[in-house]
Amino acid sequence: MDFPSSLPPSLFTTGPLGLSDVPDVSFMCSWRDALTLPESLPQGSENAAPHVAKGLLWEPDTPGPLPLLPPGPDPWDPGVTAQELLFRGGYQFRRQPRAVLDVTEQVSGPTVDSATWPGLCLVTWPPFLLQLSRFLWDHGDIAFAPLGKLMLENFKLEGARSRSKKKTVVSVKRLLQDLGGHQPWGCPWAYLSQRQRRFSILGGPILSTSVASLLGELLHEELALRWEQLLLDEAFTGGALAWVPGRTPRAGQLVYPAGGALDRLYFQKVILTPGGEPRALGGPGHIRLRGPVRQVVTRTVQGEALLAVRSDYHCALWKPPPAWRAGHLQPFRSHLSVDSPGRVTPLPHKNPPPQPTAPAEPGPCPGPQARSPQPPPVSRSPHHGWPVSPRLQQIYKDPETLVFRDPCPWRWADFTAHPRVLTVGDRTGVKMVDTQGPPGCGLLLFRGGAEASCQKGERVLLTQYLGDCGPECLHPTLHLICTQFSLYLLDERLPLVPLLKWDHGLPSAPLLARLLPPPRTGLPRPLLLAGQGGELQVLHIAGEGASAPRLAGPPQSLPSRSDSLSAFPLLEPKSQWRLRERLTAPAIGLAAAIPPAAATPVLSLFQLSAAGDVFHQRLRLQADPGPDSPAPTASWTPQASASCSQWLKALLEVPPAPPVWAAPTFSHRRLLGCFEPQKAEGKAPEGLRTAMAKGRVLQPRDLGLLPTEERAPAPEPGPEDELSERLEAAWEGRAAAWWERRRGSSLGPGKQPKRHKRRTQLSSTFSSLSGRLDLSDAASPPPSPERTLPEARPQPPVTPPSQESTQEPWARGVPSERQQTLRDYMAGLPLRGAAPGGASVPSSQTSSVRAAPSRQRAAVHSGSQPHGKKPRMGF
Amino acid sequence: MSDFSEELIRPTTEDEQGEPHVPSGTGICLPWLQKHIETIATGGKQEKDFAQTTSACLSLIQEALLKHQWQRAAEYMHSYFQILEDSDSNKRQIAPEIIWRLGSEILYYHPKSNVETFNTFADRMKNIGVMNYLKISLQHALYLLHHGMLEDANRNLSQAETWRYGEKSSSQEVLINLIQAYKGLLQYYIWSKKKMELSQLDEDDYAYNTASQNMLNHSWKTSINLCALIQIPGVWDPFVKSYVEMLEFYGDQDGAREVLTNYAYDEKFPSNPNAHIYLYNFLKREKAPREKLISVLKILYQIVPSHKLMLEFHRLLRKSENEEHHKLGLEVLFGVLDFAGCTKNITAWKYLAKYLRQTLMGSHLAWVQEEWNSRKNWWPSFHFSYFLAKSDWKEDKTLACEKALVAGLLLGRGCRYFRNISKQDHQVLKKKIKQVKKSVKKYSIVNPGL
Repeated sequence: MDFPSSLPPSLFTTGPLGLSDVPDVSFMCSWRDALTLPESLPQGSENAAPHVAKGLLWEPDTPGPLPLLPPGPDPWDPGVTAQELLFRGGYQFRRQPRAVLDVTEQVSGPTVDSATWPGLCLVTWPPFLLQLSRFLWDHGDIAFAPLGKLMLENFKLEGARSRSKKKTVVSVKRLLQDLGGHQPWGCPWAYLSQRQRRFSILGGPILSTSVASLLGELLHEELALRWEQLLLDEAFTGGALAWVPGRTPRAGQLVYPAGGALDRLYFQKVILTPGGEPRALGGPGHIRLRGPVRQVVTRTVQGEALLAVRSDYHCALWKPPPAWRAGHLQPFRSHLSVDSPGRVTPLPHKNPPPQPTAPAEPGPCPGPQARSPQPPPVSRSPHHGWPVSPRLQQIYKDPETLVFRDPCPWRWADFTAHPRVLTVGDRTGVKMVDTQGPPGCGLLLFRGGAEASCQKGERVLLTQYLGDCGPECLHPTLHLICTQFSLYLLDERLPLVPLLKWDHGLPSAPLLARLLPPPRTGLPRPLLLAGQGGELQVLHIAGEGASAPRLAGPPQSLPSRSDSLSAFPLLEPKSQWRLRERLTAPAIGLAAAIPPAAATPVLSLFQLSAAGDVFHQRLRLQADPGPDSPAPTASWTPQASASCSQWLKALLEVPPAPPVWAAPTFSHRRLLGCFEPQKAEGKAPEGLRTAMAKGRVLQPRDLGLLPTEERAPAPEPGPEDELSERLEAAWEGRAAAWWERRRGSSLGPGKQPKRHKRRTQLSSTFSSLSGRLDLSDAASPPPSPERTLPEARPQPPVTPPSQESTQEPWARGVPSERQQTLRDYMAGLPLRGAAPGGASVPSSQTSSVRAAPSRQRAAVHSGSQPHGKKPRMGF
Repeated sequence: MSDFSEELIRPTTEDEQGEPHVPSGTGICLPWLQKHIETIATGGKQEKDFAQTTSACLSLIQEALLKHQWQRAAEYMHSYFQILEDSDSNKRQIAPEIIWRLGSEILYYHPKSNVETFNTFADRMKNIGVMNYLKISLQHALYLLHHGMLEDANRNLSQAETWRYGEKSSSQEVLINLIQAYKGLLQYYIWSKKKMELSQLDEDDYAYNTASQNMLNHSWKTSINLCALIQIPGVWDPFVKSYVEMLEFYGDQDGAREVLTNYAYDEKFPSNPNAHIYLYNFLKREKAPREKLISVLKILYQIVPSHKLMLEFHRLLRKSENEEHHKLGLEVLFGVLDFAGCTKNITAWKYLAKYLRQTLMGSHLAWVQEEWNSRKNWWPSFHFSYFLAKSDWKEDKTLACEKALVAGLLLGRGCRYFRNISKQDHQVLKKKIKQVKKSVKKYSIVNPGL
């Protein structure tokens, strides 16, 4: 192997990262690398002209990638967003506002001190308590069931001696009987038994403190975890989309996970036309695994395509037999992490540190119904010459990080040019470890420090061995290391000194990279780099043989999936939001193929999103664009638009993801029973009953109503006010109908007042209806005499957050001597159970949906609208 | 990982008041965190319009650059200069560097830009924000150098060399050294041009004397320029190379040796294989004794066992009288062939086949065993698989024969690779294959008795 005969000059300083006194000699210019020093003589004047750098522009066919395959049947939940997790407050007391995770620093009685020194325990902060109290209401089963199980035996509650002399012992069994059908899924308004009320009064102080603190801790932990995941989700490092080349250079297979949990591994056969247009052949075959697929890697080792899959806790390697076709999954053999002769990327483990096996065994074949690829036990019979080793081999173990202390558990491993040497990386550096040498020793390949002039806070996010792409052109000893700021190329023969450094400037974590073969002989190799947010960059790496690797030409950004939004027809806001959400889903896979023998080199780029969608983009290489020709702008072809609309249609047919939070449902059997004899006429009760029977959320359309009742204080539409009318229609989800109506006839203003009238009629119908419903509710035999009519319940006044938080748990903040009085009062007041229901709508979270009338809320009970993320959209 | 969220949740302490709220400190620093936070910014300190427009402009420039829209980028750049008037002194200070970086990139690639434009831009930028004077000068000189304007580049570097600002910081010193070194390199170019001219002249010519005088002058200047930088730890291949060439030309062999030895063996320097290669080549030119050469290559062998000089190293070791060296010679060959990039190196295989046979003939079975023991569990599938036997035969028959001999010697006659090759029927190689078979039969380590 040749070593570059002359390396680019660079300063070598040792020290920690962020050392400021070191001049950054590697000026961050893409043209710096075009200026390699002429070897011997200044004849360079002719050959070093910058024209080398000016070529190479990948020109996209369409302004954005197109969906290759129809969307999967499973709904996709985009998860939490930053808006849902962050709360920004207390800014007026700060020079620098500071975002706080789900917590406001605004404590009651705002003083400068309390705002700048929020030394309070996080859990006790009022807004968090608000959320917590809401959680206790909404998820009583989760919050209280374990505690209830613990207290299943009779227990004694001290306190309130003066009043409940007789009974301080409550049998939980009886209590549960009372609750049967209600709690933990009970409706707060349903009814209360005396026993329950007593329990609530006696247990209130205990439950509220222990449950709240415990739950608060857990909830907070979860929120912090979600927040970290939102910022950097390392699970899909390396990418979960792979292109397995087929027998002919134009045929191949895409291997990717899909399905709601990404636990199905799909195999889609794809043929590339000579123009690079991919065509899916038939439907995809799939196998179901027991965990989500995080990484898919393919390599061709000695003429045999190998496929490796990493899940959260397992790794597997398959050898597809040559005659394998989609749908014929039977002959798959599954091994555990075979370290075949040097050319398969070991499946990097998260934590514990990587354990690619040394010569591994062919395991028993799990077959198509393969569950999660489990490490096979002791192998039975060695096939096809693989040496047998009945166990995993531990290669490296170190609880500490490599360079400096950083408590991140992330670890990574990859091959090197020597089949028995592996790289082991963590956030602070990368080390080369000899698998045959004594444990613990190794040579640092990359150090997060002054050697690579790293910035403060810079961490390794991805390391990848680049030599796998064929040893012919580039040095088979190159390693790519990506941090959140820069990209480094290192030669394992010259550790610690990056041969190339480039600030990629990606706005999200660069977790995917692919080095491709040169599109044509003599051209540099494209290196694709993708951020988690779907941004794509292509860099050209030149330099082979005795010249050091360098950037050829300026890097180029490629269209991302969100650029495709313009290809889709305009939709009503809700669907538009859904489409946008889908298109901006995080990127979790990247694959590319360069079909051979095209007149102009074509790059077929495949992207996999977290929603399981595979997108495709075709790019043509403009090897030498004329100096004056502006980059031609691509436009959508009718075909592209058609395929987009088709995809969109399929997408909209997929039911939206069920909300993470579901309204508490209550046992309706009893209520249904008493409902039966009543022959309620009209569609509304019928709809209510079916909704109840199915246990789903009651929607206005179930009642046969136009759901227009008091949506929001919309301005009264004037007869000519087309815009507001249209908006109104959109609000109701009937934009298309409105448009039809609008187009179909110039009915003119004559009809509009009528509609308006009808609407008011309908809403009045609904209000009368809700009254009747209440009555029917009341007519049902009350299981307990204390039961009150919710009708009569007064609406709790909207209280400011600080006040409200002291209301629930009600006794907090009340002087102990007055608690008794209060308790007595509360006991006398049958509304105790009901009141928090109203209060459970935190005023801090008022959103347009929750502005729905309280009257309707009472009617429909708590079959409330899913709340949470949706209200944000569009409006 | 958990650090940043803790940073975020952790109550603010007094000393952090002035700092930006994106946590940096000890934990990971995520540049996109700010973006997330801004999505929920509803109140508080809003960025001023000025800051908003400049940051928007910056991102537009970056976007245009990434799309290779130089014209568009240049238009935006025109507006971006307003940042130089920012009231935020922090931003004002880093602005010139950003402008230089983006502006030079635009001018480098813009189809309508030329050297004059670039010169004007660079000269202006040098004097806006003095901190970048040295860096910009250096880059400007490199640009000129690559456009063949050696004189201009030289003048530029000379100007920068004498520039001082404030107290001399260490980073300034390094940069000045670097500038001097580049100047030295430039002078080396001129020198080597003269040398070429000189080689074409007749020694009796009158012009010869003046030319050689010229060269002497240059060398003296250059040595001052170059030797300061190469004392600083770093990778200075082009400088060292040219410096040594000049020293050698003027007969200062000791000086050259000292420079190279220092470059190769100073512990503060990174372990640069080229340093050892340069030293080896120098010693070879000097006709140093074999022992000396071997000792240099021994160190290179420790660093890069896959280097192509290793074959030369093997030859040296083979010729040596030392028994230890013979053993090392075998080790070196095995070491070269361990690497994925060397699997098809026919010379290495040829050497190994020959040397294995020789070693086994010399009854040093133990040496072979020692090397083979650590490789026997993976070499068979790495080098001697059935697939490789077929593909090697198809691509390079001589290579296949050599490998077959090695395979036979190490794995015995039952080995797939050997069997496959020995079955092949080829007119020209018939004799060769027969020899291979014979050798294997005689010397294979698997059944030495037979």
